[in-house]
Amino acid sequence: MSKEYLGEFEELVLTMAGILQEEAYGNAIVTEIKERVGREVNLSAVHVTLYRLEDKGFVKSKMGGATNQRGGRRKRIFTVTNAGLAMLRSMKEARIDLWKLIPQLKMVAI
Amino acid sequence: MKEATPPAWAHGLLQKICPSYLWEGIEGDLLEQFELDVELVGEARARRRFIWNALRFIRPGIILRNKGSYNVINAIMVANYFKVAARNIQKRKFYSFINAFGLSIGLAFCMLIALYIQDEREFDQMHANKNQIYRIEEKSFDTWMNESPDPYRRSAWLQAALGPTLKEELPEVEYATRFNDGNRAIFRYGDKVFTERLTYVDKDFFSMFSFQLRKGNAERIFLDKSEVVLTPEIATKYFGDEDPIGKSIEIDNNGKQSFTVTGIIEPPPSQSSLRFAILLPQENRNHYEYNMENWGNFGTPTFVQLRSDANMEGFKANLDKVIEKYMSKRLEDWRKEAVVPIPADVKMLEYEFTMLPDIHLKKEISWDKVSDSQYSFILGGIALLIMLIACINYVSLALTTSASRRVEVGVRKVVGAQRSQLIYQFSLESLILAIISLVIGFGLVLLFLPSFNEFTNKGIELTLPKALQLLSVGLALTLITGLIAGSYPSLFLSRFRPALVLKGGFTSRLQAGFTKPLVVLQFALSAFLIICSIMMYRQMRFITTKDLGYNKDQVLIIPTQAGWNEETDRVIEQFRTRSQQEPLIVSVAGTSSSFNQGYSRYGFKINGEQKSAYVYAADPDYIPTLGIQLTEGRNFDVKIPADSDVVIVNEALVRDMKWTDPLNEHYNWREDSVGMGSRVIGVVKNYHFLSLEQNFEPMFLSMDKHNVGYLTTMMVKVSANDVTAGLARVREIWKELYPDKPFDYTFLDEDVAKPTAAINAG
Repeated sequence: MSKEYLGEFEELVLTMAGILQEEAYGNAIVTEIKERVGREVNLSAVHVTLYRLEDKGFVKSKMGGATNQRGGRRKRIFTVTNAGLAMLRSMKEARIDLWKLIPQLKMVAI
Repeated sequence: MKEATPPAWAHGLLQKICPSYLWEGIEGDLLEQFELDVELVGEARARRRFIWNALRFIRPGIILRNKGSYNVINAIMVANYFKVAARNIQKRKFYSFINAFGLSIGLAFCMLIALYIQDEREFDQMHANKNQIYRIEEKSFDTWMNESPDPYRRSAWLQAALGPTLKEELPEVEYATRFNDGNRAIFRYGDKVFTERLTYVDKDFFSMFSFQLRKGNAERIFLDKSEVVLTPEIATKYFGDEDPIGKSIEIDNNGKQSFTVTGIIEPPPSQSSLRFAILLPQENRNHYEYNMENWGNFGTPTFVQLRSDANMEGFKANLDKVIEKYMSKRLEDWRKEAVVPIPADVKMLEYEFTMLPDIHLKKEISWDKVSDSQYSFILGGIALLIMLIACINYVSLALTTSASRRVEVGVRKVVGAQRSQLIYQFSLESLILAIISLVIGFGLVLLFLPSFNEFTNKGIELTLPKALQLLSVGLALTLITGLIAGSYPSLFLSRFRPALVLKGGFTSRLQAGFTKPLVVLQFALSAFLIICSIMMYRQMRFITTKDLGYNKDQVLIIPTQAGWNEETDRVIEQFRTRSQQEPLIVSVAGTSSSFNQGYSRYGFKINGEQKSAYVYAADPDYIPTLGIQLTEGRNFDVKIPADSDVVIVNEALVRDMKWTDPLNEHYNWREDSVGMGSRVIGVVKNYHFLSLEQNFEPMFLSMDKHNVGYLTTMMVKVSANDVTAGLARVREIWKELYPDKPFDYTFLDEDVAKPTAAINAG
């Protein structure tokens, strides 16, 4: 385990950024979370989380190209760094390790 | 089509607080969402969503990212502003003190008033079932008030049998309890003897209201009529550290009886319309069986809890059916008896109901602690006025000193201060002083809360959450005040032209146009408030010093506590004989009740005319003890046997009867068809036996034991030379004559000064 710790929401946002690749910016992540997990999140929460992830070094950001939409404003695109990927992987593995420790009981109707 | 745009203010606001390097990305995302929303939900809702989304960005995670060299300079400047502010406050200590103290008094008042209003609104909110619990009320046609525009009497006093009947017969009613508070009885446990206030309820009381039972089982309490439930305070008073459950205590309420303690209940908080310390089953009330049979006696407040699916209209209709079933015969009689015919469409009696949390502000119906929502509005208005005065005071004071700051402004401008920076500086200074005021104001609230509670008859406690809430309200008020009050001076000072100022060409005439009307307004408002308080003070003085027509000083009121029978008359006689030789005791009289503590009023027909009069039982010592003036005739005399059936009337009654020679008249108040009624032997000058607001009503005094009643209250006049010694002597005699009865007393002037007590029928 690394000494850095990721909160549940941070992990969700980081995963989404990984899924969206080149299209990972604030609004897209909000939409993605809603579509894939069915959870309504506020744009500002996603932004704040992304900035925090950037501070921790799990994502890095750059400005995209200007378009006609969004009043000509550029998007801030976030990409998952190697550290971010490693973090996601280690969390997944840690979880699987723990899962294996649960006795594999059958589900029965009670 | 016009291009939809998001609200500019939200947009601009966010841009101000947002770190510039993040701004483009955030703005773009917001705009994108906005464009999408315009298509999905229309422009109006899209704008609302934009505002919401933008405001959500005002959070530490964004604001704290503002950093960089710009901020460092800013921080230095802010530190400098603080330093200058502190120096200025120190330099003009007196001015700053007046300024801050004025504002803190204003704030303290506003916070106290806020506490009052909040307390009023929170009444009876602690019950989980509060929205299903209703108090039943009668609305009955009052034949005495036929002329008035609203000839109905409304009261919460109902028939004793109503509660059980409603529970049994109405499908909507889940629980019902009666609630009689105020009767007093003597408690005895071992050598501890005290008089206590009793409250009679039913078993369902414990299921309906959320007063927590600390000990005992709500399901099983009051299955037996000789059980009693106490609050912890009472339990400790009698049993100390022993476990009270299962203990038996003797209660003397018209006969000694033993009761078993089966529960300990949380005492009601100050914001409860229901007050109690000792709960007994209703069945123990005096004349219980008789009252249960008699649907014409109204003396029992009743609460019901409706089922959650109850239909209110059905409930109302069923209440009418109850009246029909139990009261129709009696109501017909009442209708026939009425002197003035009552229109057929007028209902003689209806039941109405009020939800528990609304009881406190339902001023039409007399109840313990009942209040008027108008008080909240008036006080809120006063709070606003005081705050306005404090603000004006603050602004004017700040302006008068502004002249001395002009050199500083000039220098700051010369070295490159922007106008916005100056505004910022002076607003900040104003805010610092305002926040100091808040701290002082909060201290004042803590200091004056006990007297405020006493004054308003409340029990407001400043718990931590409440204090925090209050502080945040206070802080909001302070910020607004500080900013408003600071805005004019800051705008005004920042406008100085540096060259002009430094050359000394500054004119102070600039401020006159603004401050003069402010000072006039402030003066007018202060004068208004001062006049109001003088008027209120006079009103209070009027009540305490007005000549009541009798002498209320140095008169002790002592309930005989001997029940309602000959015994109580004997107590007074005994006490009088015993104190005859006492130099400190002037006289001893007996009566049915002290003033302002309930009354009897009889209604009857004389020569076909509806009359009514207040009645007090008296003895020959009554008139001299109270110093009431006899204008005609003579006082009662025990040596004349016929005096047991004569009356002494007041002037109002003479006028009411249109007598010219009252001493030759008879007053037939018992509707005696054979005799002529009671002979009138004397007329007393009108005196205020009712509250001062009421007119003089017809009243008579009588010694008729059977029809008027026994002397249950003793009035002892002690020597004016040494009231304390007199009181001590009365106590000694009482202890000597009645060692097993507690010595309870009040002074008559206390009774009179009390706000009229709700009429508590036993």
